[in-house]
Amino acid sequence: MEQEFHYAPFRVEAGKIREFALALGLKDAVYFDRQAAIAAGFRDIPAPPTYTTVIDFWNERDFYQLFANWGLNPNDILHGEQSFEYQKDIINGDVITATAVLIDHFDKKNKRFYLIETTYRNQHNEVVRIGRATLIERREQHGTLAGH
Amino acid sequence: MAHLPDINKQALAPIDLVRYAGASGDFNEIHTVPEVARSKGLGEPIAHGMLLMGWAADAVGQWFPDKRLTKFTVRFVGMAHAGEAFVIEGALITEGAGELQIKDSSGSGKLVGSFEVE
Repeated sequence: MEQEFHYAPFRVEAGKIREFALALGLKDAVYFDRQAAIAAGFRDIPAPPTYTTVIDFWNERDFYQLFANWGLNPNDILHGEQSFEYQKDIINGDVITATAVLIDHFDKKNKRFYLIETTYRNQHNEVVRIGRATLIERREQHGTLAGH
Repeated sequence: MAHLPDINKQALAPIDLVRYAGASGDFNEIHTVPEVARSKGLGEPIAHGMLLMGWAADAVGQWFPDKRLTKFTVRFVGMAHAGEAFVIEGALITEGAGELQIKDSSGSGKLVGSFEVE
């Protein structure tokens, strides 16, 4: 089986990077100061390693629409695993397009597992990141939640 | 195997989850609305897994300021709540590859992961 979801093109902006870095308590000046970023060898301010979440959720076609398209209730979903392959930097001013593919899903112990692979490309059509997520859907049984 | 310096994280305040929700765009109610978290059997709102992963990636950056993260995989092994302090522990397994974990002060695991830098 294969289901695809296409996020809308997303412009990476320094102000949003700054807000995200502050929320994570990041101190590295490269996320706040263009000169520091350039001095560190970046073209401009880079996005932190987990910034793709912002691309997924602050998108015109966002992760909630993915949930809805695939018939999932976000309040019943837990994030089980996440991995990233970092191929190129994501930099202030980049326009990122992303496609999520439902690779597999299976049931185990009253929970349903979804494996989603998302490929992020920049405005030059270069792959910048590949994200792989395992989402766990907690299923109601006999009026109580299975698992936790 | 070489142990890396522990990184201590102060306890999150409830508003830190709201701040991360706003910054990331993940406003999922199990992270932001106590009534929903309770109704789902989670106790209080749980910290976003990606907040912990963001900390963990930052830890790798602090351990290896002159290297670039190339691969990073984590498993969210326990739910994290506001009010708990955390420690990030890491070890270098081979040249360029290591493992890390985030635990609360009682030693209960929240995140385990592996990373590669070059």
